[in-house]
Amino acid sequence: MLWNIAFRTLLHDRGKLLAGLIGVIFSVILVNIQGGLFLGLIRKASLLVDRSDADIWVGHRGMHNVDFPHNIPHRWIDRVRSVPGVVEVEPLRIAFSEMSLPDGNYEGVMVVGVSKGTTLGRSFSIEQGADDALEYRDSVIVDSCDDDKLISPQLGEIREIGSKRARVTGKSYGILSFLVTPYVFTYYDRSLEFTGADPSLDSYFLVRAAAGADHDSICREIESRLPDVTAMTATTFANTSTNFWIRRTGIGLSFGAATLLGLLVGLVMVGQTLYAMVLDRITEFATLKAIGSSEREIILLLAAQASVVASLGIGIGVVSTFLIRHLLSSPRASIEIPLSLYLASAILVFVICLLASALPYLRVRRVDPHSVLQG
Amino acid sequence: MIHSPLVAATGNAELLPSATLCLSAQSTAPRLLAAVGIRKSYRIGGESRAVLDGVDFHACEGETVFLSGPSGSGKSTLLSILGCLLECDSGEITIGDRRVDRMNVNERTLLRRHSIGFVFQRFQLIRGLSAEDNVAVPLTLQGTSLAAARQAAGELLTRVGLGAHRNQLPTLMSPGQCQRVALARAVITAPMIVLADEPTAALDGKSGIEVMELLKELVRETRSATIVVTHDPRIMHYADRVCEIENGRFK
Repeated sequence: MLWNIAFRTLLHDRGKLLAGLIGVIFSVILVNIQGGLFLGLIRKASLLVDRSDADIWVGHRGMHNVDFPHNIPHRWIDRVRSVPGVVEVEPLRIAFSEMSLPDGNYEGVMVVGVSKGTTLGRSFSIEQGADDALEYRDSVIVDSCDDDKLISPQLGEIREIGSKRARVTGKSYGILSFLVTPYVFTYYDRSLEFTGADPSLDSYFLVRAAAGADHDSICREIESRLPDVTAMTATTFANTSTNFWIRRTGIGLSFGAATLLGLLVGLVMVGQTLYAMVLDRITEFATLKAIGSSEREIILLLAAQASVVASLGIGIGVVSTFLIRHLLSSPRASIEIPLSLYLASAILVFVICLLASALPYLRVRRVDPHSVLQG
Repeated sequence: MIHSPLVAATGNAELLPSATLCLSAQSTAPRLLAAVGIRKSYRIGGESRAVLDGVDFHACEGETVFLSGPSGSGKSTLLSILGCLLECDSGEITIGDRRVDRMNVNERTLLRRHSIGFVFQRFQLIRGLSAEDNVAVPLTLQGTSLAAARQAAGELLTRVGLGAHRNQLPTLMSPGQCQRVALARAVITAPMIVLADEPTAALDGKSGIEVMELLKELVRETRSATIVVTHDPRIMHYADRVCEIENGRFK
């Protein structure tokens, strides 16, 4: 019966129910979109690692972010190859340079040099151009999401990178840096020309381990043989790279604050709505008390109403979030909402709504059942 | 033993005391409610003002007692105390065979739930619930399933002439109809005591008479002791006994 009273009185007061629902829906959308934007943005910090096809990344001791490598001697690569469990090792070069633009200006780019004949380090997939786009002379691959910055380079267009001739032979889609600097992919040897780098130094070694090999053990073995390097599994290095930006920029705090604000708005709106409904029906609560409803039953009634508002609001909010994500998510402003975020936000908002029901209860608790006999 | 569909539905007849008899009503009906030496005072403007000053009262099974008196005489306060809605400063109250004045808040809540039915001047129906659900509330509080409570409520509403309005919201019903719903709610559990606070004050003359007729008919079945606070001279003849209160004492 409590559910019946809770549900029917809520439906009876549709205006206030709508206000409460809007609060919950707003909270759910805000929490999910903020969280999804955060995850989408921060994931860019490890995109090269996530899509590298490597099991282990080896870089200079203390490496903390894939975009900011400190070079290591190329000659160390053979010592890594000799570690038991290692199947393949390839060097990777990541270095800043500048690309010329049609209007005479230059745009800073991050040149990523990958080895020929391997999938290690090939974080891009070619969406426009031939599959062997990098086999052409002076060839580079740019991302079509960076068209604005690079002023729409067309396939076959000639540009200069680091004052060297470069030809755009392929375009990828959605490989964006956490920094504003576009990635330009090319072969390892060609990247030396574009960046003027020392050919005896590499940014990273990418390792493919044997099937079933313990990656952590291989990392420890590499570090024991080369004390000046750090070896991490791809997962660890991806987390290290994202944590670098979270800690150094405070980005988590700003997104977290916005999310918290959303929850707070939801809390206030649901609490205010339930409170207004209770104020409007205060004599009904007094009557319920008079005819024998216990405090516990009154609490359950209010909690049931909060649960109804929360459940309806969460349901509508999740569907709305799904649609918003579908409509607005792009590689540049990626909204990545895993199922765990949907679940976490739903639980969080539900708990917030239950807490919000405490506000009207404080009012109902003070209602004297005797008051119904006082007119 | 009481043979009533309402009593049969709830089994409240077991709560009736057998030892104390209602001598003042010159019958052998058991005394369901007894109050002795009830005192209650309020602090108004920093001064203590006695509202009830040593009131003795009782009501027997099937008896209808009217409490009347001028405004501020203490009759509503007495009704609240008898209905376990308000605590007295001193005195003894017994409902059935249980001492109420020694009970804590939870015990009094449960006593109201199981043994007392209320009829309020302003009906106090829950606006969001249909007439049937409003009447079913006390039964469900006692643990009856919603379906069974609705069925019992529907039958009772039919008896009070509102069978066609069972699914109607109180906001769409006339005051007379609302008070009949409230009456049905008060007696659905066949309570030991029915307390009515000016039940005809918000009604026109015809509706008031209808409501009193209905109240008498329903409590005749449940054998409840009925205590009615009223100013309404049109309904005085429905009382078995009228107790006039003035300045916190019975005349």
